[in-house]
Amino acid sequence: MELFSLFISAIFINNIILNKFLGMCPFMGVSRKTSSALGMGGAVTFVIFFSSLITWGLFEYVLEPLSLQYMDLITFILIIASFVQLVEMIIKKYSPSLYKALGIYLPLITTNCAVLFVALENIKQGFTFVESVVYSLAVPIGFTLVLIIFSAIRERLDIADVPKPLKGNPVAMIVAAIMALAFSGLAGLV
Amino acid sequence: MIEAIILMLVLGAFLGLGLGIADEVFYVKPDERFEKVLNMLPGYNCGACGYPGCQGMAEGLLNGEVTTVSQCKPSNADQRKDISTYLNENPGPDGKALVIKP
Repeated sequence: MELFSLFISAIFINNIILNKFLGMCPFMGVSRKTSSALGMGGAVTFVIFFSSLITWGLFEYVLEPLSLQYMDLITFILIIASFVQLVEMIIKKYSPSLYKALGIYLPLITTNCAVLFVALENIKQGFTFVESVVYSLAVPIGFTLVLIIFSAIRERLDIADVPKPLKGNPVAMIVAAIMALAFSGLAGLV
Repeated sequence: MIEAIILMLVLGAFLGLGLGIADEVFYVKPDERFEKVLNMLPGYNCGACGYPGCQGMAEGLLNGEVTTVSQCKPSNADQRKDISTYLNENPGPDGKALVIKP
């Protein structure tokens, strides 16, 4: 039950984008089309899930016994960067169109603070292995969910009659703010 | 201190090896026409074609966005003819040749 509430709270209540305001770059950058938002969500989910598990294992079994905790940032970044490279190769091989649609935002996952946040939060909260598996899966699911909702709204906004000064990015910012307000209404769910 | 150095070395070697293997497994054959077309373009990177540089123009020619070489303003008639005949005669990885006017 506790795992379930952790899962729900990481997706909805402490949503990485709308509550913690991390990972804003792809949130604004790749949310023009639902298909590319879905691809971005998949790539981020893959990177966060695997890199967080590996960094958790590295911290628990290597850094902590050797009392090298101060090395956490540099080793975590190394692992995250490698995973982003791997994802880039896989997407380039199997989906060139998605590779083109994501463009510069694909290598920029490396600097997406959401990825490092999950790796560090697993350590800071002292999660067990099962808890960190649940948490590392729930956070990117929340990221993907918000990205898809936002891109669907933006696709609809493109054909809507928006006042001229607000067309494009300004109205998207307003939508993001309203979405954050709406998500804050979910606080106290768990 | 010495443990930290060893750790970074081991981790770096391990990840580097992993990425090296992954690079072999997920290797994508580059389009060999790209390099040739890029060499045949004038190479001024003037941007008159609408792309940021000759690299963009070569890509545009290969993916069908550009259908006439004359979009490259500084190119002379010989260069335009060379590029269009090369692309019309050499099919790409999908087996189809492009139809490009000089």
